[in-house]
This record gives sequence, C-alpha cells and structure tokens, in this order.
Amino acid sequence: MAEHLSGWPTGQAKQLAVRLLLGCLTVLAVLTLTFVLQYAVPGDVARSIAGPRATPQLLAQIRDRLHLDAPLWDQYWRYLRGVLSGNLGESYVQKQPVRSLIAARLPATLLLGVTALVVEIALGGALGVWEALRGRRSTLLTCLNTGLLATPTFALGYLFLLVFAYQLAVLPITTGADAAHLVMPAVVLGLSGVPYYSSVVRDSMTATLASSHVRTAVAKGLPRWTVIRRHVLRCALSPVVTMAGMDIAVFLSGVVFVENVFGWPGIGQLQDQAFNNSDRPLLMGTVIVAAVLVVFGNLLADVIRVAVDPRARQEASA
Amino acid sequence: MIIETRSLHKAYGKHTALRDVSIGVRPGTTLGIVGESGSGKSTVARLMAGLERPTSGEVLLDGVPLPKRGRALRAARRRLGFVFQDPYASLDPRFTLEQIVGEPLRAHGLWQDGGRDRVDELLRAVGMGGIDPRSRAGEFSGGQRQRLCVARAIATRPHLVICDEPTSALDVSVQAQILNLLLDLQESLGVSYVLISHDIDVVRRMSDDIVVMRSGEVRESGPCTEVLADPRDEYTRTLLDAMPGRRGQEIR
Amino acid sequence: MSAPVSIEGLTVAYGDQVSLHDVSLDVPAGTVLALVGESGSGKSTLAHAASRLLPPNARILGGTISVGGTDMAALTGHELRSARGSTVAYLPQDALAALNPVMRIGRQIAEVFTAANGRSDAAEMAVEMLRRVSIRDPGQVARKYPHQLSGGMRQRVMIAIALAHRPQLLIADEPTTALDVTVQAEVLELVAELQRDTGVTVIWITHDLSVVKEIADTVAVLYGGRVAEHCAADELFAAARHPYTLGLLGSFGGARTAAPKERFTAIPGSPPLRGGVPGCPFHPRCTRAEDRCRSEAPPLLGGVACHVVAREATGTGAGETGMTA
Repeated sequence: MAEHLSGWPTGQAKQLAVRLLLGCLTVLAVLTLTFVLQYAVPGDVARSIAGPRATPQLLAQIRDRLHLDAPLWDQYWRYLRGVLSGNLGESYVQKQPVRSLIAARLPATLLLGVTALVVEIALGGALGVWEALRGRRSTLLTCLNTGLLATPTFALGYLFLLVFAYQLAVLPITTGADAAHLVMPAVVLGLSGVPYYSSVVRDSMTATLASSHVRTAVAKGLPRWTVIRRHVLRCALSPVVTMAGMDIAVFLSGVVFVENVFGWPGIGQLQDQAFNNSDRPLLMGTVIVAAVLVVFGNLLADVIRVAVDPRARQEASA
Repeated sequence: MIIETRSLHKAYGKHTALRDVSIGVRPGTTLGIVGESGSGKSTVARLMAGLERPTSGEVLLDGVPLPKRGRALRAARRRLGFVFQDPYASLDPRFTLEQIVGEPLRAHGLWQDGGRDRVDELLRAVGMGGIDPRSRAGEFSGGQRQRLCVARAIATRPHLVICDEPTSALDVSVQAQILNLLLDLQESLGVSYVLISHDIDVVRRMSDDIVVMRSGEVRESGPCTEVLADPRDEYTRTLLDAMPGRRGQEIR
Repeated sequence: MSAPVSIEGLTVAYGDQVSLHDVSLDVPAGTVLALVGESGSGKSTLAHAASRLLPPNARILGGTISVGGTDMAALTGHELRSARGSTVAYLPQDALAALNPVMRIGRQIAEVFTAANGRSDAAEMAVEMLRRVSIRDPGQVARKYPHQLSGGMRQRVMIAIALAHRPQLLIADEPTTALDVTVQAEVLELVAELQRDTGVTVIWITHDLSVVKEIADTVAVLYGGRVAEHCAADELFAAARHPYTLGLLGSFGGARTAAPKERFTAIPGSPPLRGGVPGCPFHPRCTRAEDRCRSEAPPLLGGVACHVVAREATGTGAGETGMTA
C-alpha cells in the first residue's frame, strides 16, 4: 500500500520533523556562540555609538539604555527573547531596526548566491562531464582547477575588477544592483567552487560509465548520447545536489568578500560594516540569518536528493 | 553435545531472524546447516560463536551456557574456531602468515609456550608447510588464503570450528582441496564442525547430521543420509527437487 | 529465428595480457552451449567479446564471431548498434547492478522498443514482455524500481530486456549463480521455455556442472584462455577426456553417488591468473603433463586439447598433427 503513495511514508515525515528540530537547535547554538564571541572583540560599544567626542554622561546614558552594564546572561536572555519574537534589535550605528536593514539587503544576496550556484553547477558540471567522456584526465583542466582553488575569492574578485572593469571596461566598476553589476560577483563566487563540482561530476560520471547498468543500456542498442543523457547523467546527479546543499554555507562566507570587493549591496556588505562598527545587534542579526539559511538550505538539498533518487527514499524511511 | 542451542530466538528490531532454533552437534561430527538466503543460517553461526547475543534462548558450549562477556567469554572463545566465507575479506593482506596464524595464540596468552613452533605445525597441517612464514598474505591465491583461515581457526585447538560457506567464494577446482583439508583435520584432530552452506551436495558429503532452515526456523533435522534420502518436510523436498541436473538421479 | 553460431580463432587481450587465445567453438542453431570455466578461463571475456561489450582497455586481436552469417567482431558504428540486442543479447550475473537504479522497470524495458515503435506502444509491449517472463501483476511491477524487487524477479526483468528484440544469440553470463536454488530452478525453467518458443541459440556460462547437466546440449570447457574440451553434454558426463574436465567431474560431478566423508578428487594448485602462458595452460596442475605440454599449447583435435590424449587416441608417437616429441 505504501508504494501507491509514491514513496513518502510517515517514517519520512517523522525524519523531516527531527531534522527541523535539530536545525533550530543548530541556529540556537550559533547564536549563543556569536554572542559569546562578541565580547572577545575589543571596542567600547557606547563610544562607537556616541562618537569620539561624547561626554561621560551621554556614554552613561547609552550604557544604561542598552543594558550594557547588566550581567552577561541577562543581556543574552534579553536578546534571545527578542529574537524569538522576531525583534532583532536596533542597529547601534544606523538607528534602524536590524530586521528591516537585513530584509532590505537579503534579496540581493540571495540573487547573487543563486546565480553563482548556477554558474558553478553549469560550468563545473560541464567540465566534469567533458573530462569524464574524454576518458583521460586533462592537464589543462587540472591546472585551471588547482589555480582556482589556490586563489582566494577576494583576490580573484580584484583580478576580475582590474581586467574587466578597469582595463577592458566591459563591465561596470561602480557599485550597483542591476544585471550588469551581477555578472562579475556571480562569476567570481561561482568560479571558486567550480573545481569541486568538476571533480565530483567527473568521478561520479566515470564510475557510472563503467557500471553494469550502463553496459546494459549499451547492450540494448541505444545510441551513445541517449545512454549518456538518460542513464549516466541522472545517476551522476545525486552527489551534485548534496554538494549544492553544503555550498550554501560556503557561499555565505565567500559572499562577505565578494560583496565588499564589488560593492554589491547585500548582507555580506552589511555584516562587514557591522563588524567594523562593533554594531552588535546588526552583526548578530546577520549571523542568525546566515545560520538559518545554511541549515534550511541543507535540508532543502536533502529533500531534493530524495525526490531525485528513489533509493534515497528507502534509506530515509528505514 | 559439543555445542547446543536451546530455543534460540534473535530479532533485529522488528525483523525476526531466528525463531525457536534448537539444534546440537555431537562430538567429533559435522552438523551441516542448509538453507536459502534469509533462512537464518549465518545468524545461527554468529550466535553459536558468541559474536552476537540472542534475544532469548541460550547457547551451551560443552554443556555450559556461553558467557556474556569478559574473561569467561574469552576463555570460551578459545574452544571455538570460525572460518568465514571470503578469504580475501577475512585476512589482512599485509599481515605475514606468522602474524595471522599466531594471532589467536597471542590473544589467548599461548604464544610464549613455543608459539613459533606451533605456527609451523599449523602451516604444515594445512598443506602450507614449506612456505616462509614471513611472507605476506596478499601474495597468495584464494585457496591458499582460505587454508590460512583454517590454520588460524584451529590454532587454539578448539573443540568446534564453525565454517560459514567456507568454499563459496573459491574457484570450483579449489573448493575440493579445502573440503578435503577439513575432512583430514577432523580425522586427525577429532574436531567437530558446523558447516553452513547453500550447496546441498557439499553438505551431504561432509556432514553426519543436517539441519534444514527456512525463514529463521528449523524445518527438518536429523542424520544427513536419512533426511536427504527420505525428507519428511515439504520444504526439504522442494529444495531437493530444485537442484539442477537431478533428472533421473537418486541421492543415496 | 534460429541462427548457428561459429567462433573462429578468437583472440582477445586486455592491454598486453592475452585473455583468450585462438578460441574456436560452434553452436548449432537453436541449441544451448554451456561454457564452463573458472577465474582466468576467459569465459567472461568471451561473453563480452561476442556481445561487443568489452571494456575500453580490451581489444579483439583476431578471429571471427559469426552469428547467423553476421560477423560480430567486424561490425562498427551504426551496424554494430543495430546488431546489439537484435543479433546478440547479453544477460549478466548481477541483475541489481545491471538495472538503472533511478528508472522504473517498465521504462527500462520499453526503451528497447521505443526507437522503433513510439512511446505508448512501447509501454504496452514492455508490460507484455513482463508477462512473458512469468511475472505476476506485470502492470504493477512495471511501475516499480529495481531495488523494490526480489533477486529472482530482477533476473526475469533482465531476461525480458534481453529477449525483447528477439535476438539470434543469447549470451547468459552466469545469470543464476547468485540466486537461491529454488529461484535458480524457476529461472532455468523459464529460459528453457522461452528458448523452445523463440528458437534462440544460447551460450550459457557457468561453473556449476549440475546446471550444465540440466540445460546444455553441448559443452565447451575453457581453461586459461583456451578451449580444453568441446563436445555434446551427454558425452562430457559419460566420457570426458581432458584431465581438467575429469578433475572437475571427479570433484563434484560424482558428488551424489559418493559415500559420506569420502574425500573429493581435488585438482592441486590454483587456476592461472589471466595471461597467455606458454604451453598448455593446465600443465602446472596436470598429473599427466609431459615436456611437450610445457612448451607447446595443444591444438583442439576431435574436441579435446591435450597432447597426451591426442597421442593415445591415434596410438602413435606423432599424433595427428605429425609433430614428434
């Protein structure tokens, strides 16, 4: 009977619920850790809000209003309560609710992330497929991949800026948020992940090409491209989805550099500003949002993988 | 009885692997256990060897229940040997012959008392006498490796050796060598065997008594020649009929 | 469509290791040839060569594989692709590995038909094939994935795929070795029935002599990449001549009539690893080996490849080939 329900028995729903719960716990752990680390960062909050010429009275006032002299766990508890009710606090520097600051910038980061992911998978996947079908490793590709791995994202970013925006002037050098401005940051972010995808796709395809079921497909007399398209590619897909899920985490760290290099108005840039200004609420807010994105991105990747690969459904409900 | 199981029951979560299995091995004889996949024959072997614990029921070795843990279990293990199916997977290819065959001796504190001589003796007993004990297992063929496994299994002079499909992974022309070796050792050492196999022909030739299992239950048991000549259980009859090439043949 | 099969002088190598050396066999149309061999015998290589499914590092160095007049070894490109499935079909040992894990059963069978027949017809024909291989409730099974079926059912699906195009030759590469004996019996019966209905010529690879007894019309015994013996099945069991065959039969062929605890007739040593050794491949393990056996590989004469047997058959020192010791 379970088969008729297209492979989604209750065992899997339970699994999903457990994963969600664990996800929330992870976010909580990240929150706590960031809160603690905040206090390791030097800098007087009150002074950074009020400016260098603040009077002691003003400083005392600020400290009082923001409960900066209260015990740590008191501040922590206040914050936690706030977060759970949707209030991420107010930015010390920009005097606006953190929530609206982040909400204004989040779409830009998401757009960048998704575009970069597409670049990564398409380019990395294509290179991997090419190398696998070739049958031999390509020295050129190996050098390219090693080069990309060795180059830090921000360095690659500046390089692109120099070559394409400054010297060749084909892409804009200023900051902005339209399609033309999206090209370089997305490509740079994508390129840093290409070596991983091309290796994974190549290995997965090579293994699949040598497998018994591909031999069966060939034995049926199917044309070569049909065999590759229908039998090889789909099977090589599963590890790509898993990697994409993990990539969300990688992106959110890379995004900080890339957004700053290119002036892309996303939360990476916001986070950088917050850190420099010791703007704790804003910083915490971005960290929480990042943690949530990572946890749920991974969950989404798992859901997609199960949908794509029927064997995973069996594992998931077991 | 050298080894006996009483109402052995084993479940893995919701799946029942063994149900009320009560069998025994008479000293100096071979008990063959046959069955298809999922019959539970390998599970019985593991429980007999103390590699896993039953959900209920007991295993008696020399009339005494098999200890659950600790020194008592280790002492009991000295009286048991185990030969696994895959000689490539059950041996570390980097180990030397001496290390492999000597390992049980070392583990049970028997090495000091002429361990090296014992290794030589064991290698000779399994037909690998002239070979340098310092050579590594990886240099040898499947049949030779299985001989090493047998040598390892009898190192501590066990009363009982459990063989779980000892020849299934070997080439046909080599299988006979290993089975002959097992028969020779039984004659010279008086060791008892539990022989698990899906191949009824092999079991027939090697065993005194036979147990036929299906889906975790014992369907039939008794002296081998009797059971196979005149099976009382329908499943046994089905198994015998399914054997290829029997047309016009009788099993005596 | 019954087609005779004739393999002549087939030599196959993996890299520079020769796996099959000058192998010649023939199979009368519509009959079953059992190909018996152990590891290193080259039986799988022969199966893959005849169905042109050799891995990229293997090459056919010479010889012909004639199936009803078509030389499989010589085909290339488009002709080769059409021949696959319709001239020669391949049935592998591990059905689970041989099926695409992420594609439904019905579609995997229908694929064979879609090229010629269009999608909806192909789906129906796939269900019909499942019925022909005695699968109950074929419509439901067609919607399942390979891991949801039992071993026996998967093998039946593989048989359905293999026979879908009504091939002239079916090469079965130990398809029942990994199956339980009761399931094996069903599969053997199924194949026998389908063979009678379609008249397909079958080369059945096995190491199990009792399976040979059950289904074979003729037998070829391979050892170390060469044919050791090739004769009718009855003849093999009644009067085998090659020392290796005799050794095999002694080990198990007589198992059912031996006394309990009677020692098996064992062949000493182990089968060779792949690679053409000079001389007769069996000589290191042969009790009757002579000097000539070490240096010259014996030709296949009268169905046996053995110097000693050939000499004894003619009763002279020279043998039929005119070679002197």
